[in-house]
Amino acid sequence: MNQMMAGASAPTAPRRRRRHRGMWIGLAFAAPALILFVVFRVFASGAGLGLSLFSVGVDGSAIWVGLTNFVRLFADPVFWGSLGVTVLYTVLTVPLSIGASFLFALLVRGKFRGVGFFRSVFFLPTVTSLVVAATIFIWIFSVDGPVSGMLGTGSWLASPQLVVPALVIVSIWVRFGYGMLILLASLNEIPEEIEEAARLDGARWRHQVRWIILPHVRPAIFFLAITETAVSFQVFDLINVMTGGGPGRSSYALVMFLYDQGFRYFDFGYASAIGAVLFVIALAFALVQHLVIGREKK
Amino acid sequence: MTRNARIWRWVALLGALVIAVFPFYAMVVLSLKPGQSLSFPEALAPWPLSIHAYDTVLSDGRILRWLANTTIYSVVSTVIVLLISAMAAYAFARRRFPGSNAVFWVIIAMMMVPYHVTLIPTFMIVAEFGGVNQYWGLIVPTLANAQAIFLMRQFIAGLPDELFEAARIDGAGEWRVFATLVLPLCKPILATLGVFVFLWHWNDYLWPLIIAKSDAMRTLTVGLASMQQEVVPLSVLLAGATLSFLPIFVAYLFAQRSFRQGSSMAGIKG
Repeated sequence: MNQMMAGASAPTAPRRRRRHRGMWIGLAFAAPALILFVVFRVFASGAGLGLSLFSVGVDGSAIWVGLTNFVRLFADPVFWGSLGVTVLYTVLTVPLSIGASFLFALLVRGKFRGVGFFRSVFFLPTVTSLVVAATIFIWIFSVDGPVSGMLGTGSWLASPQLVVPALVIVSIWVRFGYGMLILLASLNEIPEEIEEAARLDGARWRHQVRWIILPHVRPAIFFLAITETAVSFQVFDLINVMTGGGPGRSSYALVMFLYDQGFRYFDFGYASAIGAVLFVIALAFALVQHLVIGREKK
Repeated sequence: MTRNARIWRWVALLGALVIAVFPFYAMVVLSLKPGQSLSFPEALAPWPLSIHAYDTVLSDGRILRWLANTTIYSVVSTVIVLLISAMAAYAFARRRFPGSNAVFWVIIAMMMVPYHVTLIPTFMIVAEFGGVNQYWGLIVPTLANAQAIFLMRQFIAGLPDELFEAARIDGAGEWRVFATLVLPLCKPILATLGVFVFLWHWNDYLWPLIIAKSDAMRTLTVGLASMQQEVVPLSVLLAGATLSFLPIFVAYLFAQRSFRQGSSMAGIKG
């Protein structure tokens, strides 16, 4: 593109030198960020995928083993177990947290006294660190906590059946504020006249939700579904702090598995193979998003 | 809205408020409970209270050290991320270089690669240069922030051309244009982004867990989580959690407006 421009305007020598200088200045300004990106994102991503084809020693020595790590992974019941836990967690968390976000967004929509206060308070869980949230909820789901106290269930985190639902509930509490803001932005785009007209025509509240609000926020819900799915598939902090994957392996999700293989057993090659599987899953979701958005634009 | 609908809305709002606030209430009240028994429902009574747990936390040198580590990690990272992202954003928005558009889109595309794919190579690189248990090892790999570059580029691209032309006609050098024109004009976006980047680092758990192996290098999140495995009274754990939440809460009070506007950035939270 530069050559084309140079040919078109035929600049004199000093001007060409100045443009050349400007070019280097741009690069110089971008350089610190670019170097960090090249090393820690581009190179590290490539290396992360590449390492899955090696057997890596603790000293950093690497031996090419081809697809051995993947053969081992796909034969490993722990992998399938962790994939199952991750899918179950995701399938429960995503629709429930979007549903909660939608209800909260409807509640704090429009103008009324105290609306700013409610929006602020409802977003507060989202800025709380997962470790802090986990610390509180460990008590809430413990034998001594209110859930067990009211339902008489015993500790949820010690129950193989209830541990994933407990994690799902914490995740919803942590996340609904984010979805609420995204949906609120989308709700605010609905022209008031449309709803006014519907109301005058005698549309009930539930009809308005069904025929005006839901169709309008569909793209926002779709966006949330994709991003929340990606986040859910990578769940780690909550599980590591609240359950460590237990009891047994009933809350042992994919990233827990990756972390243990990488940083407990220092089997970097095997851990990288798990990372590659995560990458393929993320790529699949990104592709779906791209295809659906592309189709909606047409 | 009819009177009836309004009443129902308020009932629902108060119910929602309880759901949102109850865990915070439990955290603070339980952190202020004397004694060992903290079972429902007595534990939630606002009386009796004691600051014994906070005494324990504040006299525990480890926790103060973790607090200091977290502060260093968050503040230093935030300042550097804002500076280098603003510089890069200025280059992408105003200065262009051959291939700059392609490079920009590569940076954006890298956001789709799950963080965990890069985890092991990043650890190997940092370990190779002796960065385990070092502040630089903690900070440096977290500085490449695509969202920050992207949002700042959009902002800088929206600034009027005349400003830059005027500055150049006045003979200001590039660095001066950046320092005296771009940075001051970017104050609003720098403030908003700054809070988000600070929060992200303050709350970060996985990377510090991996790189800060020694007790003295832990951050507050990692230290708090590690205390769950020790025999520590719940009130002390929750006092630690409350202390770690307090700066977030204060930052949030100051920045709520930008939170509500900058909702698209909330995704920075992993």
